[in-house]
Amino acid sequence: MLEQIKDWIERRKAGSTGGHDREHLPTPKTAGDQRLSDCRLIVLDLETTGLNPAKDNVIAIGAVAIRHNAIDLSDQFDLILRRPELDISETVLIHGIGPEALTQGHETEDALLHLLEWMNGDPILAYHSAFDQKFLEKALKQTLGYTQPHTWLDVAEMLPAYYPNSKTGGKGLDNWADFFDLEVSARHHAAADAMVTAELTLAVINKAQKNGVVSLRDFNDKLKYYRQLKNIHRQG
Amino acid sequence: MTASSQDSARPQNTRAIMAFLREHSPFSNMDDAHLAHYAEHASLRFYADGDVVLSPDDGPVQRFYVVKQGRIRGERERDKDGETETTFEISQGECFPLAALIGERPTRTLHRASGDTFCLSIEHDTFVMLFSQSDPFRDFCLRGVSSLLDQVNQRIQTGAMASIGSSNSLDTPLERYAIRNPIVCSPDLPVRKAVARMHENSVGSIVITDDKRHPTGIFTLRDLRTMVAEEKGPLDTPIGQVMTRNPCCLTANADAFEAAMLMAEHHFAHICVVDDDHRLIGMVSERDLFSLQRVDLVNLARTIGTASHLRTLVSLRKDVSRLVDAMLAHGADSGQVVKIITTLNDVTVRRVLELNIKKNDPGIPFTWLTFGSEGRQEQTLLTDQDNGILFQTPEGMTEQQVREKLLPFAETVNEELAECGFTLCKGNIMASNPKLCLSGREWDDWFARFIDASTPQNLVYSSIFLDMRAVFGPMEPLEALLDKVLTRIRKNDLFQKMLAGNAITRKPPLTMFRNFRYAPDGKKNTLDLKRQGLAPFVEAVRVFALANSVGTANTLERMQQLAIKGVFDTKDANAWQEAYSLIQAIRMRAHQEMLDRGDPLSNYINPDDLNPLDRRILRESFRQAQRLQQKLEITYQL
Repeated sequence: MLEQIKDWIERRKAGSTGGHDREHLPTPKTAGDQRLSDCRLIVLDLETTGLNPAKDNVIAIGAVAIRHNAIDLSDQFDLILRRPELDISETVLIHGIGPEALTQGHETEDALLHLLEWMNGDPILAYHSAFDQKFLEKALKQTLGYTQPHTWLDVAEMLPAYYPNSKTGGKGLDNWADFFDLEVSARHHAAADAMVTAELTLAVINKAQKNGVVSLRDFNDKLKYYRQLKNIHRQG
Repeated sequence: MTASSQDSARPQNTRAIMAFLREHSPFSNMDDAHLAHYAEHASLRFYADGDVVLSPDDGPVQRFYVVKQGRIRGERERDKDGETETTFEISQGECFPLAALIGERPTRTLHRASGDTFCLSIEHDTFVMLFSQSDPFRDFCLRGVSSLLDQVNQRIQTGAMASIGSSNSLDTPLERYAIRNPIVCSPDLPVRKAVARMHENSVGSIVITDDKRHPTGIFTLRDLRTMVAEEKGPLDTPIGQVMTRNPCCLTANADAFEAAMLMAEHHFAHICVVDDDHRLIGMVSERDLFSLQRVDLVNLARTIGTASHLRTLVSLRKDVSRLVDAMLAHGADSGQVVKIITTLNDVTVRRVLELNIKKNDPGIPFTWLTFGSEGRQEQTLLTDQDNGILFQTPEGMTEQQVREKLLPFAETVNEELAECGFTLCKGNIMASNPKLCLSGREWDDWFARFIDASTPQNLVYSSIFLDMRAVFGPMEPLEALLDKVLTRIRKNDLFQKMLAGNAITRKPPLTMFRNFRYAPDGKKNTLDLKRQGLAPFVEAVRVFALANSVGTANTLERMQQLAIKGVFDTKDANAWQEAYSLIQAIRMRAHQEMLDRGDPLSNYINPDDLNPLDRRILRESFRQAQRLQQKLEITYQL
């Protein structure tokens, strides 16, 4: 898959158009009987111009894929989008993507098409996934008119579900990374954050399988159950 | 395209993995393109504490792993009781499995995660690609785990080689060692006749030459053995058909060092010496080169042993240090080297005593005792005096009267030994101390009190006085004394237990997280290789030796004896001997380096100054010390 991205980047550099089949974009898969150990899971992180999905935009996409309980590094996605028109002054200090990088990035429409193809409709995992979901869905709709809903799973929700009573000192990605002693190669770089999120996901999957979770449906159901429990506690 | 621009074209996660790999051997020596290939084809896997990573039941190993974070431990079932024990630990940046992957067989050891662990693995095809294209990677894999020890030894040897300098015989021209008129024959001579010719001349090799006297082949006794064992042909085969073609040749002005390196590199035992026209003029064998070093040792010992003045003895100390360098250069292991130092020290001590008796004989029969590291024959170049006298009381004299005669004599000896480089003992454990110049009866009383009253001070002394040896004078009085002492200790469980308790107070310098624990007293971030590294072995082994009537004082020999007596499992004893020797080797190399720089000798080293390989070996050696201490804890229920 990495080879495909390389090819595609080479084609883009050479100036040819994407050659995407817009009529046959992948259909998202639902969390069904597929085995957790066999299915491909996308772990994604976005860098954006701000926190408000209504007015801010995606500027970088990083993602890795998990399959057979391992992060397959030949199957990853790491792009900065070309959006010279965007105001990044608010967030440049966080993600380090400056105006120059944005002019050299990849053309948005093409990049998003490629992302859709690369994801192949597989379930998407992210840390505080609601944020990434809103931004990505908005970008897909505005740029490509694509509105099919992917299955989204929140890693921030999985961790306390499977590692309850862990003394993380907080709910953030950094807290959990510290708890597992993980090093983030470049914090607030979309791909590096996706990587550490995926590493945490591996720990979750390991624990889930030991608790008898076999299918993606089981996995999703457990999370729903956990959410309900939490709500009950909150109400009580 | 420059490396950096190439690098920035790679995805962030690939770059991060490459940066991680670059910090560890063998990746640190690999090309970026190969590292990138590894990173782009790797899978990151997670194993929770206790998860099985690789099992002998998995079939032939399909993947190569690097520990990205956490630890893997190898588990083996002990033959004796079926209990599992940890045989090795693989920590961050280290690779596994090598032997099984190369041998395309299942692993023999269960690999289990110790703590939450992440590994970067590659599949078999990627491994094969890197193996075939990257020389550093292939070398590393082929040499396997045992090569770690080789690499350390190699480094010790090259370091010592470099410091040998011009004084050493190895850079003299080869012609001086070469045997003139080597035994030769033509290629059509039957093997039987060629071997007969070798036999007549008592040589191990014959050179096959053409009519211009150019060497075309070589045939050695080893070739004969192979020929017979593998039935390569009858003994009347012409030798030209079975010889080793194109023998290794050097010209007469090449030096012995070159020849030695060539032999070591190619495992040849013989090299032809030729003139500028490639005509055979001589032959040099491995034995010719290396016997030089033995001559040096024997010569040096003889020179010390016959020196007629103290100042000669003092000046010979420099040669001892040079010899140690040469021994290390020739791959002598640290156990051999410390024994040689001890041997030469003994010769020096004896000669000082002899010279003093000649000058001023106290007229009392006595045995000169040494204690501590000298008693254990474990002295390095940094050594101080720990000695005493065991005398026989002549009839009609009191012990006090004997002492009055011997003490002034002992004092002179102690001072002269100090001039020879044996530092005076700060704790006054020396023969000139009236408390340590005793008759057999007095020594026995002394030990009886020592063993019965296990005061803290006595426990400190145990590391000195319970490792004793006679250097000069009759042996029998010491043997009789040692016999009584060992019997007393064997019967005194309480003393053994106190010794054992004392032996585990000094923990190997590893933290819970397998990092080094620095010495509390030395310079910042240093380890004391003697007190923190070797002492845990020496002290634990002493307890087992004394409790099991092992009379020798040398730690390696004690371990050997304990294995023979079945007190130690043979595999354990081997591992502990190896670990102990490696710490000793690293310590001795540090000493040689300090000498070269003209620094005072010390036992402190900063582990950051070591290369990652040595650090890893040191860590593993310290872990073995922990295991030995655990055995002590179990045996004595501490």
